[in-house]
Amino acid sequence: MDPLSESGMRTPHNGAVVQRRSKTRSYRQSYRSCLGTASRLGVTPALTARRLNASRRAAKPQNLADKVNPEHLALLVKAEWQLSYVTPLYQFRHTQLRSYSRQLAAFIVAEKQQGLAVEVSELHNSYRVSLSVVQGLTESEDDAETVLIQIHSKPMFARQDEPQRSVWSGWLTCVHGSPEYLRSLPKDFTCLPLFGSRGPEYLSRVVKSWFQKTFDCCFGSLEINHTSLQWFAALWTDCHSQSHIQHLRMLWTIPAAPPLQITYTVDPQDAWDLWNSVRKEATAAVTEDAASIDLEEVTGFLQALKSHFYRHFRLDLSAGTLQQVSTALGSAKSSGRIKMSNSRHVIATLTLLTECALLRMPI
Amino acid sequence: VSESVVLILSHPVSQTPTCVYFELMWCHLCSPTVEAGTPVTGNDELDRNLAVVEKVAFSKGLSPEAISVLLEFAMSLRMGSSPCVRVLKCLIPASVVPQQAVVRAVVWLNVSKIPISTQVLFIKWVLTVSSFLCIFLISVHLYRVRKLLELQSKLGRQPFLMHLLSLYKVFCPELVTLSIPSRIRVCTHFVTFMPFYKPVSSSICEMVTKKHCHLDLPALSSVLNKEPQSEQTSRRKMVPLVHLSSFAQMLKDMHRIELPAQMGSLLGSSLALQYLDCVQEESALLRLNFWLGCALHEEFLFCRQTSEEALQFLNNLLSAQHFLQEGFSSSDAFLYKFLNVWDGSLLRPQILGLLSNIPVIPSTQIGRLLFEPLTQLFFTSSMFFKCGLMECLNNMLLKWLTWHSVYALEDDLDISLNSHTSINITLSGFKDSVMELVHFVGRLASLGLQLEGCNTLLLSFILDFYETVCDTFLKFGLPLVVMPPPGVFYPALLATDPVSVDRLAYIMHRYKLNLTSAKSQEKQTEQAFHISRHTFRQFNHYLVFMVNCLWNCRMFHANTDMHVREELLHKSNVPQYWTRFDFIHHPAFTGYAVDFHQKCWPGKKDVDVNSIKQSKPWSWYLEYLFNQGFDGLKDFVHSSISRQVTAGDKLQDSQCSL
Repeated sequence: MDPLSESGMRTPHNGAVVQRRSKTRSYRQSYRSCLGTASRLGVTPALTARRLNASRRAAKPQNLADKVNPEHLALLVKAEWQLSYVTPLYQFRHTQLRSYSRQLAAFIVAEKQQGLAVEVSELHNSYRVSLSVVQGLTESEDDAETVLIQIHSKPMFARQDEPQRSVWSGWLTCVHGSPEYLRSLPKDFTCLPLFGSRGPEYLSRVVKSWFQKTFDCCFGSLEINHTSLQWFAALWTDCHSQSHIQHLRMLWTIPAAPPLQITYTVDPQDAWDLWNSVRKEATAAVTEDAASIDLEEVTGFLQALKSHFYRHFRLDLSAGTLQQVSTALGSAKSSGRIKMSNSRHVIATLTLLTECALLRMPI
Repeated sequence: VSESVVLILSHPVSQTPTCVYFELMWCHLCSPTVEAGTPVTGNDELDRNLAVVEKVAFSKGLSPEAISVLLEFAMSLRMGSSPCVRVLKCLIPASVVPQQAVVRAVVWLNVSKIPISTQVLFIKWVLTVSSFLCIFLISVHLYRVRKLLELQSKLGRQPFLMHLLSLYKVFCPELVTLSIPSRIRVCTHFVTFMPFYKPVSSSICEMVTKKHCHLDLPALSSVLNKEPQSEQTSRRKMVPLVHLSSFAQMLKDMHRIELPAQMGSLLGSSLALQYLDCVQEESALLRLNFWLGCALHEEFLFCRQTSEEALQFLNNLLSAQHFLQEGFSSSDAFLYKFLNVWDGSLLRPQILGLLSNIPVIPSTQIGRLLFEPLTQLFFTSSMFFKCGLMECLNNMLLKWLTWHSVYALEDDLDISLNSHTSINITLSGFKDSVMELVHFVGRLASLGLQLEGCNTLLLSFILDFYETVCDTFLKFGLPLVVMPPPGVFYPALLATDPVSVDRLAYIMHRYKLNLTSAKSQEKQTEQAFHISRHTFRQFNHYLVFMVNCLWNCRMFHANTDMHVREELLHKSNVPQYWTRFDFIHHPAFTGYAVDFHQKCWPGKKDVDVNSIKQSKPWSWYLEYLFNQGFDGLKDFVHSSISRQVTAGDKLQDSQCSL
């Protein structure tokens, strides 16, 4: 790469100033502009709603059973996951997963026995790590394939013949990530911004540490903010006609003294009717966008729920914070924990979460 | 000779001279004139020398030259084997261990009759200081790894094994891995397995140990997973950036440099930053930015506790930016968010320093990103913050102007910031941004001066800013002239300290030069810029007022900015109020006037400063004033005022042409 493109140097015979060299092409290559595309700039929470997609397609239930390995799918839906965001991984190869598994296993053991070197091989380790690709979760060609990480180990007082059990699992995924952002990254980077983990905190830390050291990425905890929780409430309610949600339960905390915690459970049919009435009001005469939901509809829906509550209890829930939203399709907590209980709506949930994770990218 | 040398050595001196004297001493001892077989026991001189060596070794560590000499001395058994052991036990390196010395020592190991225990000691020493060796070439094979691991399982954690295995890990991370707890480093190895190393002072421990914290730079380590096809060849040819220690070395291996596994580790190394800036590899810089952005967000934006480490981290970042003469885009992105939640006092110098490094913001976004949060901070903060912010914005303007004067092509109006972004800043766009900034600072300054009662310190920082602004055309080649607002001009002119008035005079003088130059260029070249009539009018207005005030004693004459009603002026009972801000009566200069009067007419008892107004004393007085160091006034008066002496001596009637 030629960093300097020289402009001609003239002898200043008429006293004119000599043309300077220009570095126009490469000046501030590091200046990956945070102003270039309006959607990437981080702004105050008040404007977050503008950054998060203001409208999205209604969740189409997808039968993933024929696209995704059923074992993997079962793993995804049975547990509650702790979420983190990850910056893009450098030189991550989906083809080297076996080598990565070995390295990670040795790393885990080495971390445990600080100061004792550990041979990186499959035969001797008490931990067995497997990294595998979960295909079928994403359809867009910009998204990288999801990677599943599982750690197996023998419990402390196991018998000889007892098989190793899974003690920790995690996944890295990118579902319908913003194509603009994904395409702006150089080819060396693999963007899998969403990380979910389940298991002992110690192992999560070790796995993250290994990723950081190997692929020069950074992890950070991903909280689910108020707007995203509202989206979950709306999207899940919207699915009621296809999959019975059984209830819409919200957990609010009110900053009273002592703090008040309110669990607000709404009957599914009532929620469905309310949602439909909000949608009918909002959409004037737009026919082709019937499948897409706007932020105004979502906030209208929540507002209606809050005003209903106020009518009965004279307590305005806007004064508090929404901590958790759960239905039969899943639960989302503001601390960054997600449970996807129904395999048909995994994609929609992961899409929203991927968006949240991408918002947290530093540049 | 040796006695005097020992005296010099025992005198507390700085490090470098000690090494020189060291060599002198040991050259003397190692020279052929010292006969083999010189008695060791009862040799007080040798004892004393060794004691001094031990003292230096345990406090600062030994220089590479000293280690070479001492190792040669010990392993050659020149004075028997007991000094050998004593010397080996105190060979603690200060920086590096020369490879040649170790090679020679190994030769001696095979040749001379060193007892087994001493040989073992030597080998343990080599393994322990292996991380201090300049270059260490080893070939790592699986069977060697397995042998060592076997040994480890028998002996347990041994520092020298740990060291060798960690070296193997550096070169072949796919065969062996190892985690060393961050607190146990080399010095503890010295302490644990060689008990006589206990007197190693804490200074060496500090040198090698790092406290574990979030804002720690990642440890330098080489890449773990290389491309499979280039494994063999690349490892032999590539030089990891980790191993470079000097600029010359970097230049030599420029094309073969391999970047570390974690780019964040390079932030503290100016050599590495220089390499990055030169090579401009996008992936490397992006990785660095990702790490930096995450570190900043996690530590500051999301409410972590700040501490010494936070301060240290920001200082490191600032010095890296200062070195590169530009900011990092992730720190810019962080700042735009942080300004909205900042209280104005947390780590103020560092944050303002980082802020001054941000690049040019398009004028459409500069209000939302910069001006709004800064306005809020400015008006709710202490005077020191206001001063700090003024300085920060001045630095920012200077950097923008410098960037423009270096990178903008003369006949090309399009200045692309980066081929990847969608922003193209044209010259006019750049001018817009600069103008927005200058107007913004003008507004802040006017209101700030009102709030702080025209505080002198604040005024000084504001005048710093306008010293930059007045010269945008002549000094930086940017075709733009912006006048200060009335809220800055009048407080400066009517200030009670002479320095402010002097600086204002200098600024007005420079404005005049810039404007006249611009005007003359306008006539000559077609592409010249056009200064609006409004700017000229504003300048003339200020100039007329200033001269009327200081010279012509017609302060309130037809001034549209300052309307003071006649009745109020009469009510004030100030005699001849129209002269009260001229060079003699101005509060800033009245002291000088009195002083001059006493010097001029030492006999006179009653001081009547009006007597200075006569023609001759007036010239002397002006000269006297200018000699007090008021160069700004001198330039201003000479360029803007030409005196015409009338028939009478009274200055009040003299005309003044502008």
